[in-house]
Amino acid sequence: MIFSLLKLILTIPFVLVLPGVLFQLAIFGWKNGKISFFEKAVLAVPFSLILVDLIILLLNKLNILLKGPVLVGAILIFCFACFAVFQFRFGKKKSKKEEESENDGIFDFSTWQAVFILLALVLAVFIRTAYLSDTIIPSATDLGHHMYWAQMIINTGHLPGYGVPDFIIGEHMVFAAVNLISGVGLMTAMPALLLLLFNIAGIFTIAILLGRVFGSNKIVAISFFVAGSLYAINPPQGRYVSGGVVGNIIGDMLIPVALYFLYRALAEKDRIFAGLFFFFFVGLLYTHHLSAFVLIFSIAAILLLYLLLNIKNAVRIIGDWLKIFLKPFPLAILFGGAVFLLFIFTPSYFNAAAVSQATGEPIKATRVGLSLSQIENSVGSAQMVLGALGFLLALLALKTKELRYSVVLGWFLILFAMAWKPGWLYVNIPSDRIGNYFFLPLVLLSSYALVRYFELFASATSRFFSTVFLFTLLFFVITNGLSDSAEVFKAKDQFQSAMETFHSAAYLAATVDTNKDIILKDHVNIYGDSWYKLFFMKDYKYPLSRAVLMRYVDPTKSRETCTRDMISNPESDAGKACFADTGVNYVAVNAQIEGNSFEKYPDFSKVYGSDYISIFKKN
Amino acid sequence: MSSKIIIIATIVLLLASFSVLFVIETRNHNYDYNKVWSVVYFENPRDNSLDFAIENHEGTNASYGYKIYINDNKVIDEKVDINAGAKQKISPVIPSEKLSGNKILINVNYKGTDYKIYKSL
Repeated sequence: MIFSLLKLILTIPFVLVLPGVLFQLAIFGWKNGKISFFEKAVLAVPFSLILVDLIILLLNKLNILLKGPVLVGAILIFCFACFAVFQFRFGKKKSKKEEESENDGIFDFSTWQAVFILLALVLAVFIRTAYLSDTIIPSATDLGHHMYWAQMIINTGHLPGYGVPDFIIGEHMVFAAVNLISGVGLMTAMPALLLLLFNIAGIFTIAILLGRVFGSNKIVAISFFVAGSLYAINPPQGRYVSGGVVGNIIGDMLIPVALYFLYRALAEKDRIFAGLFFFFFVGLLYTHHLSAFVLIFSIAAILLLYLLLNIKNAVRIIGDWLKIFLKPFPLAILFGGAVFLLFIFTPSYFNAAAVSQATGEPIKATRVGLSLSQIENSVGSAQMVLGALGFLLALLALKTKELRYSVVLGWFLILFAMAWKPGWLYVNIPSDRIGNYFFLPLVLLSSYALVRYFELFASATSRFFSTVFLFTLLFFVITNGLSDSAEVFKAKDQFQSAMETFHSAAYLAATVDTNKDIILKDHVNIYGDSWYKLFFMKDYKYPLSRAVLMRYVDPTKSRETCTRDMISNPESDAGKACFADTGVNYVAVNAQIEGNSFEKYPDFSKVYGSDYISIFKKN
Repeated sequence: MSSKIIIIATIVLLLASFSVLFVIETRNHNYDYNKVWSVVYFENPRDNSLDFAIENHEGTNASYGYKIYINDNKVIDEKVDINAGAKQKISPVIPSEKLSGNKILINVNYKGTDYKIYKSL
């Protein structure tokens, strides 16, 4: 155990810190007035994630088998190449450069600010760790699906062709890479720990975006509390980490970085930042389609709002922007990204059908938008109140020529519209998934609101009124914002159920012939069942699964119902026909629920019985 | 300087969190640690063999009673002691002429809980 932990702890920085550090060294040098140590440290994880993904994509294109030593060698070669570029670009100027003071500016915190940030981080990590301690055995449905593909990469040494747009390669490569290098399996804490790392890194990426947008270290300090400690368990935070919602977690880390570079490129007219914006945009395209979709809408809204606010100078502004992006470095990154997307590896969702699925007038009830109370429940009441206050304060302080106001207001407005009235924008994706991104602009506005309110409080004429309001607000924010964290201490682990599920899967994997036998399992009443497929590694849809019952009702198209009928009504005509059509001859069900019913059916033998799982074989 | 302290403290916090969670997962990723359950299964579900196994994950050494029925007639009534965390394979001896065309039920009992498996031959 200790040896495995040690290997994991050494592998994670090798894969997810080192490439990013050296890449930034090649771009920015050792010290650079443009970017602080704090920002470079924060950006090391997002940079590394995308770089390692690109390295793996390239190796796969070159038909090089993906194995541990190959990945170690490729990452080391990349790091040496970055170091060589650094030496070439900055080596001779070293003495001069080192004299330049590193511009920590916004991120140079006072003692009290540092203490506040550290306390917020301790709370953020503690709440997440306590919550994950009850869910750390890999059992979440989404994580099981994703880890099947990661295991496929590990087993075959090649990247899989998914055949469906639901999965994206960037959601799986990093897990396979860490496994191939460290040897630590996917059915361990490793996947959840990587997601926890991305989740915590996401708190920092929001902070650096906030720092650059508002230029205030007070707001940055507050953001650690707002993003890290408030609603630390609710989606898309702790629950998404334990639930294995890989794309969202990584997207929430990368979207602020993409906006960070875009903002800096436009505000500082910097071609390097423009190029790095393209780099992260391409990285996001490889990681999560929904996050990329949200980013595209966010950028469009921010830029359009800025142009509308400066309509008289719109043509000149667009010209200025083009001057930033039509430079060799951003164009080279854009060209490189296009080459990767078109010739090295094209994401599975890059097709007209997938795009048309996500756009158009929404029809399904789950896609027509959330009510205001649903949005409030999704992001949390305190976050909503603070965000609304921040929106109001930002609106009052609006300076049309400053891009920062367009960033916070435009980002908030577009995500609110996408979640509330997606039909206005021809967005046709599940509204609750959009709602999960809404917390990003709300963190910006909430942090801004708290700091601005403290400033207003300090200069208020009526101290009594403002004091009462301040304490009421803080009491509400803290009690409401931390209420979900109280669940941590009420939760009961389901480790036994998960292990009994794994035992039954191991039994079937050891005894059935997967070329002849077809297994059906019950997703509705078996905990951790999505991990079943990792015991067989035959096909993504093996074993078959009875899905959540509402999935069988779809007004837009007819769905197969055999997987439902073979468990719900195995003795019915429909059920019998389904057994004949599908060839299912093993059924794994919850012993206490369908298990009792199945014992009455004469066509089945019961070959496995535990407290939790029963397995029946069709005679 | 403060930013360096924050980064270092975050690394330390994450190291501590990762270590705690990894140890919790490794310990609990076990059929026996803090668990109380038993399981009975046919060694080979694909043929007519009646060889079966009982696994004891009750957290203590346990004495299991098992009865074998052909249709509703009890033909074997035995007990077996199994150590905590161990597995006991049992190969019942029943004349083959008694088996064909019948439902064979194996009922394993531990502290009042029945674990049934059966085959129709």
